[in-house]
Amino acid sequence: MGKYILKRILQFIPVFIGVTIILFVVKNVVPGDPVKLITGEGPSLTPEAELQIRVANNLVESDVVKDENGNVMYNSDGTEMRIARLDENGDPVPTPMVKQYFIYLGDLLHGDLGTSYQRKMPVTQIFAEKYPYTLRLAAVGICIEIVVGIGAGIISAIKRYSFWDVLVTLCTSILVAMPAFWLGMLLQLLFGVMLKQWTGGAFSLPISGAGGVVSTYPTWMHYILPGITLASVSTAYAARIMRSQLLDVMNADYIRTAIAKGLTRRQVIVHHALKNALIPVVTYIGIDFGSMLSGAILTETVFNWPGIGYEVYNAITRRDWPIVMGGVALIVVVVMVINLIVDISYAFLDPRIRFGAPKEEK
Amino acid sequence: MANDFLDVEKSIAEDAQDTLSGKPRPASAEPMLSGASAKKQRTLWGDAMRRLRRNKLAVIAIIWLLIIIAVAITADLWVPQTFGSPTAIDTAKSAGQSLLAPSLQHPFGTDLQGRDILSRVIYGSRVSLAVGILATSISTCIGLIMGALAAYYGGIWDVIIMRLADIFLAFPYILFVIAVLAVAGPGFQNVFIAIGILGWPSIARVFRSAILSVKENDYVDAARAMGASDARIIIRHIFPNSVATIIVYATMSIGGAILTESALSFLGMGVQPPTPSWGVMIADGKSYLVNAPWMMLAPGAAILTTVLAFTMLGDGLRDALDVKLKDA
Repeated sequence: MGKYILKRILQFIPVFIGVTIILFVVKNVVPGDPVKLITGEGPSLTPEAELQIRVANNLVESDVVKDENGNVMYNSDGTEMRIARLDENGDPVPTPMVKQYFIYLGDLLHGDLGTSYQRKMPVTQIFAEKYPYTLRLAAVGICIEIVVGIGAGIISAIKRYSFWDVLVTLCTSILVAMPAFWLGMLLQLLFGVMLKQWTGGAFSLPISGAGGVVSTYPTWMHYILPGITLASVSTAYAARIMRSQLLDVMNADYIRTAIAKGLTRRQVIVHHALKNALIPVVTYIGIDFGSMLSGAILTETVFNWPGIGYEVYNAITRRDWPIVMGGVALIVVVVMVINLIVDISYAFLDPRIRFGAPKEEK
Repeated sequence: MANDFLDVEKSIAEDAQDTLSGKPRPASAEPMLSGASAKKQRTLWGDAMRRLRRNKLAVIAIIWLLIIIAVAITADLWVPQTFGSPTAIDTAKSAGQSLLAPSLQHPFGTDLQGRDILSRVIYGSRVSLAVGILATSISTCIGLIMGALAAYYGGIWDVIIMRLADIFLAFPYILFVIAVLAVAGPGFQNVFIAIGILGWPSIARVFRSAILSVKENDYVDAARAMGASDARIIIRHIFPNSVATIIVYATMSIGGAILTESALSFLGMGVQPPTPSWGVMIADGKSYLVNAPWMMLAPGAAILTTVLAFTMLGDGLRDALDVKLKDA
């Protein structure tokens, strides 16, 4: 087991490095001078001030400033005082790309995601502010997915070919084909506009969990519609997987044995079939939780939700690269860790994987 | 309706029974896909067509897609004349035409600039279909090459390509596409290129596992023993035997590409106004949800039905061709 975990962790390292390289390349091929992005379209800077920004962002080579005793001098904010290194013509020396990448990677591994160009805040602080909203929304979404997805899948498998089965199949097909942002708007239209007198305006526009809306209704109500929207597609998939797994398992020999033993249908399903049928569903839901934690740009945009997906999307459009690079790195790590946990628990539940049998029975 | 979903499974079961009892089946269907002569011989594609035609949902999907394609192609001939131009903004006229509710003259209403929503939805289908098909073609081509290299040569190629696929899949997909569009700039061409280029890993995985299962067959060994080149073995022997998987997967991918395009356009990173795109139209309607909900209803319904049709067609093809899609 330990070997398996170690192997999986080692597999992540090249993937993570690849992701950081791609991010770094994207940042550097985007047109636009970083200094312009940092200072905005304001009045032009003095050459000294501009050089200082380049030094601070490691765009040019720099040296630490030392006093006469050889001690490092510090700026008022506690950072090392640095000065640009000049070549024989008196021009600053640009930092080589490879060195810039390693500086970025080193900072990243130290948990330093840099400072936002436009918001002038540490990126870690921005995410610390935004992450709770994404986390809570993901928790609501995953609850909906577990209850509705698994429940619908079980009903549809047990009552195969019944009205409910057809209804579930129809609904899952539609949900998978529906753009989630459109579903969000439909829900707003239905509960926020058309049923306003019944809901008492609890879902009125704009629906936001940011606390920006003065509302007499409890906060949890703000989570309902975004939660449904976020969970819609994956709930449909969870229901489908649950249905097909349960139908598969019900054909297995040990189920026939259990029926032959004289167990009731209920006992067979609850004690024998469900346990095995649930494993792939739980895996799917676990992986999906990882992707929900990476923030749903579309859901968050429709509901003006102040989560990290929306933040990263805004940062891309504003070209605020530290937020983009930090955000994507954070998201990738979160998704990888969740996937690792899911894989390990899967291997724990199903010895066939642990012992290296191919994972083909899905 | 109640039995439509189940027809597929039943028809397969019936096939199996027919096969077992040796009962001859009417060989009436033309083998359209094979392009072979209409002789009464049975081919893989003829059988598949017959099974597909028994699947009511797939037939409905095909009819719906044909209607959309026909309307999209012929739109220039009749749509602007009947409902008004999808893009022109006539300031003198638009004041009176703005945000009209659905009526006989404007079946889906009008938007803020007084443009007919139906006309825009019809022209939007061109963008969606084009992006869906072009992006899927690109990702299928890249995926095929990558999958073939990984599966056929194995070893270091397999490791490198599959690791690369892992890296691509580790990114949050939509963020990745947005980042690429931030570099390349939004617009129709960049949208389908971005979706196409970033979509290859899943196709490569599917194709890789399809090849791996075909590669071990005796006829591949036989071809190699006869001195066939690698390229010939892949193109003449392996590809035809995994083409069913590719067709099914590509059909389903078109729906996904259409959804991605609408999401990108919704976020303002995709097709730029005034070109009508379903995603842009929904984004326009977001501000008028209370006063003019029809602005977002029609384009959303268009996305839903089109994507649904591609999914149904993919499902139907999968059952008809008896393809087992491995977890991709």
